[in-house]
Amino acid sequence: MTAVRSSTPAIPLSRAPRAGRTVETGWHRTLRRFRRNPLSVLGAVIIAFFVVLALLAPFLAHPTERNPFMIPHSGYASDPHPPGPGHPFGTTEEQFDLYYGVIWGSRTAFVVALSVVATAVVIALLLGSISGYYGGPLDELVMRVTDIFLAFPHLILAVVIVAVLGQSVRNAVIAIAVVEWPTYTRLLRGEFLRVRDMEYVQAARALGGGDPHIIARHVIPNTIYPMLILASLNMGGIVITFAALSFLGLGAPIGYADWGQLISLSHNWIVGTAGDPFTFWYTLIVPGTAIFLFVLGWNLLGDAFRDVFDPRLQGSR
Amino acid sequence: MAALFLAGVLIVLTSGAGTRVAGQSVKNPDTFVTLRYGDPESLDPAYQYDTASYEIVYPNVYETLIGYNGSVLSTYVPRLSTEVPSLANHLISADGLTYTFPIRQGVKFHDGTTMTPEDVRYSVLRFMLQDRDGGPSWLLLSPLVGKESTRDGDKIVVTYADAAKTVTVQGNNVVFHLAHPYGAFLSIVAAWSFVMPKAWAAAHGDWDGSAGTWQKFNNPKLQDRYAFDHMNGTGPFKLVSWDRQAKEVILARHDGYWRAPARLSRVVIRDVAEFSNRRLQLQQGDADLVEVDRADQSKVMGMADVAIRDDLPRLLIQVLHFNFKIDPTANPDIGSGKLDGSGIPPDFFSDVHVRKAFAYAFDYGTFIRDAYRGKAIQPSGPIIQGLLGYDPSLPKYTFDKNKAAAEFKEAWGGNVWSTGFKFTLTFNTGNAARQIGAQIIKDSVESLNPKFKVDIRNLQWSSFLQLTNAHKGTLYALGWAVDYPDPDDFAQPFLSSKGDYPQRNSYSNPEADRLIQQAAASSDPAKRKALYKQLTEIAYNDVPSIWAAQPTAFKVMRSWVRGWYWNTVYGGEDYYPLSKQ
Amino acid sequence: MTGFILRRLLLLPFVALGVSVLIFSLLQFLTPAMRASLYIHDPKQLNALPDIIRKFHLDRPAYVQYWEWLKQVAHGDLGWSETAREPVADAIRGYFPATLELGAYSFACILALGIWLGTQSAVHKDRLLDHVSRFTSISGASLPTFVWGLLLLMVFYGHFGWFPPDRLSLAAGLFVRSPGFHPHTGLMTIDALLNRQWWIFWDAVRHLVLPVATLTYFLTAVLVRITRSSMLETLRTDYVRTARAKGLAQRTVVDKHARRNALIPVITLAGLLFVGLLSGVVITETVFNYPGIGRWGVSASQQLDIPAVTGFALIFSGLLVLGNLCADVLYALVDPRIRLQ
Repeated sequence: MTAVRSSTPAIPLSRAPRAGRTVETGWHRTLRRFRRNPLSVLGAVIIAFFVVLALLAPFLAHPTERNPFMIPHSGYASDPHPPGPGHPFGTTEEQFDLYYGVIWGSRTAFVVALSVVATAVVIALLLGSISGYYGGPLDELVMRVTDIFLAFPHLILAVVIVAVLGQSVRNAVIAIAVVEWPTYTRLLRGEFLRVRDMEYVQAARALGGGDPHIIARHVIPNTIYPMLILASLNMGGIVITFAALSFLGLGAPIGYADWGQLISLSHNWIVGTAGDPFTFWYTLIVPGTAIFLFVLGWNLLGDAFRDVFDPRLQGSR
Repeated sequence: MAALFLAGVLIVLTSGAGTRVAGQSVKNPDTFVTLRYGDPESLDPAYQYDTASYEIVYPNVYETLIGYNGSVLSTYVPRLSTEVPSLANHLISADGLTYTFPIRQGVKFHDGTTMTPEDVRYSVLRFMLQDRDGGPSWLLLSPLVGKESTRDGDKIVVTYADAAKTVTVQGNNVVFHLAHPYGAFLSIVAAWSFVMPKAWAAAHGDWDGSAGTWQKFNNPKLQDRYAFDHMNGTGPFKLVSWDRQAKEVILARHDGYWRAPARLSRVVIRDVAEFSNRRLQLQQGDADLVEVDRADQSKVMGMADVAIRDDLPRLLIQVLHFNFKIDPTANPDIGSGKLDGSGIPPDFFSDVHVRKAFAYAFDYGTFIRDAYRGKAIQPSGPIIQGLLGYDPSLPKYTFDKNKAAAEFKEAWGGNVWSTGFKFTLTFNTGNAARQIGAQIIKDSVESLNPKFKVDIRNLQWSSFLQLTNAHKGTLYALGWAVDYPDPDDFAQPFLSSKGDYPQRNSYSNPEADRLIQQAAASSDPAKRKALYKQLTEIAYNDVPSIWAAQPTAFKVMRSWVRGWYWNTVYGGEDYYPLSKQ
Repeated sequence: MTGFILRRLLLLPFVALGVSVLIFSLLQFLTPAMRASLYIHDPKQLNALPDIIRKFHLDRPAYVQYWEWLKQVAHGDLGWSETAREPVADAIRGYFPATLELGAYSFACILALGIWLGTQSAVHKDRLLDHVSRFTSISGASLPTFVWGLLLLMVFYGHFGWFPPDRLSLAAGLFVRSPGFHPHTGLMTIDALLNRQWWIFWDAVRHLVLPVATLTYFLTAVLVRITRSSMLETLRTDYVRTARAKGLAQRTVVDKHARRNALIPVITLAGLLFVGLLSGVVITETVFNYPGIGRWGVSASQQLDIPAVTGFALIFSGLLVLGNLCADVLYALVDPRIRLQ
């Protein structure tokens, strides 16, 4: 057995759900287990909260610009203003409203994270399935390519890609997807390898089922759980990477409702004024808390998924 | 284990707490520490063309033939020359083509050798003939040889003879022979005629001054010359080290300086990118002078034992440029490319009414108040305050929404007002003032008519460069800072058809060209003033750009700094008269 | 084993080639004018754009540029970095020790803290310590490094002034670069001790506190959780229960029997930690203005300094391959059940 080499926490392989009647009870059991763990519930609640925030954004924070993702600003003065009338969370440098930024920022977070995950999953489905199912030199090639991508420090690769393509949300999403796809591909490939040799798949082949049909009907559905676990654990990481890109001036444009962008605007103000270093505390704490809660929620949720769908760890919880 | 850890923490904390000083005797009285952001590109005086390099080169390590007396820019004092040439002392010929500089005797370079007129000649020729791409050589090449570059494409189009005949040594004098009379020549000499020893340069692999070999040394890469990171001049300080990883330049007093030696024995100039770092080091007294952006000013007000010198006049202008002929290929910024309400045609800004409308729509007052904390003035044109020919009584645009609307209604036969337009304005990231300027234009133009849609886009420098180079910019923000304090330095790049911006924006006015030519050739201040007044009026009538602001500077330093003075031409400080008490 | 190691070492040139190909293929998206932005900083130099493009051959297709670069590297020349204003090799040699110092101290802290906390958490399961450590570790994995770093800066630097950013104070820095100081290793803490300059040692330590704290928080969180769950699994196994039944003290059980086996998955994680460190160092150095290879890599990437980015990526990827190799070898050494193929 070759030693494990991966850039994410080792995802334990889940058992294939049993077919037929027992599926119903399987789900019930899963839900119950889920509900019993307070941390999982907390995670679900947090994510639900952000989903609501994102969906209700236009009502909670009424857009005034043509592009609703651009934060309205009252004036142009440099100094941030503390929370007060009209600005419940205060303003950043150049008077962007923090409240608006946080609300619409949750939309940005979901859009970015889901886009990256979707892109990575599509690539992984294509490459991982071909690689895992057919094996051989094709598999070798794909694995070597993922090796190269994984050998690259993530943030630098993302920074270079955005620097080359130009700063924009779309390019940042592309950059992060380029960084994330190898992990998904490897996972999917591993699953394909495992499932390929299972009895019912071999049976289907013996019965004369075509390969794509088998892949679609038997193999892919069984790989959903590990992908779900990976994706939910990854959502937080993606948002963090996007925030880091914005912090470096390579993510969302200035004035865009993005938490990382808001934090980058706070950068110069954390020393406060000469008399009081905490004068502008809200410029960092407000968006920082938003990111923190969002990522926390996904981490808890991802953990919960892993615990629920992976029986191997059950004893230790 | 936990106890050990805690003990360690305590020790570290207490040692750290000790450096938190309050009210302060002078720290390091002999060493002056300056913190900037931005590190030098090259210390070779013929190569450098950025502020950080210029600070070190001039006037601290290298010197020029004539210099400035404190903050005054209009008259000069002799430095490496013993007299300032003028018509009165006949050191400027009557036809304005010959300038004679008697060279000072007994001046020692940092390596101990004595400066000769031949060194001066060599240095000027080297400055002109090195001519690296994007470098400062044109500043002397243009008035002396009459060309902007030694090359046309790949080919060298200047012979040694062409250059050599412009600078001659006659006895103890160095004589310059100009190609055309140029009133601003003295100001160029004051800021750019650095002197280095020929023997030293030749001994270290640089050009030896001979006719046959200069072409090999033409257009070097950054690291090709010894002078890139080694300096040997006549100035009050000599280079000790340039540590490019620590981003620190250390200078030491040159005891053999031809005037009295400097008070400081050491100067340290360091690039510290983080404002918070700079501020804290100033607070602790570890740094004596730190560079602070206008936007960060509120964070340094009220600091104990810190002096802020404000309202320092700068020869710098911030401008919003109209592109008269936009390249429409694959250009996302012009929308549909037609005047149909969702785009602009490529020649949208060629209609003067459009330009005037924008000029009236720009809220100059708010821009100056918010982007510069009120510390800027609105220019009438490129001839800004501090230059000969500046006239505050000349007309300028004011923020007037009614007038803006009126101009829009006349633009393109009235179509603009009825169909509306949509385009994207660009500026490069990292400049708060430009960000604010863009925002202001967008807000006020959009408030005039719901059919007007202006988006703003910030680009990183590489994308921005690509954009302007390909003539794809629509309305974009860029500025200009002084090379030499003469109105010609500002008139050319904005109004001459061969100037930097008009070429980029396809603007030309033959009348402006004529006036610029005349004003440059004349050495009569009164005549030049009148000509520049006319040019400012052209700038007002043609409005090829929105003349947004001329900001002032402010400096933040410890109150123990003595002898500091302001001069807008310098890249940084003149450390010669400084001391700490 | 030797065969395995050799085969893995063969990966190095392959990965190096792959990484460089990856970077140069990104060049395809750059126009010559964008590449020229590395050399042009001021609007005054805009006119020189076509000349700059010609001078540095920026209009050659990406594969030609790559070929030129390969030839250069074959001669041992990694090229010139415009952003560092010195040869790429010199820049790497200069910046690397700083990162190594930061990384080494962080790694040690992560291991020490993570393993200890994880073990204690498992042993005192469901008690206060366990809850606190689990909460800290989950929140640690949820806070972006740079936010945490900025928070620490705000409190411990902005307010207290105890732990400054950067690597050394001004005075210490000047002394270190003067002839009176001999840099033996490039690691400031070690060199200061070797030079018997205690005040420089403390100065260096003070400047390391916040970056190390920032870097370790995230990864310690991960390690604590893995150690805890692995430890819990081990404590449940038969042989541990037997040991307990035999009446052995808790301490002996934990230290002698459980810990060694629990550490096996931790060692596999060492590779992951190493990767995490290398990635985290990039943003940490930027936040704290720490003059290491990460900060240089970021600014080089932002300015499209291709030779610098390539050199930087080569070093990092090389370190990664070696780090993974060490982790795998350690894994095999520790767990006799593992046979390396």
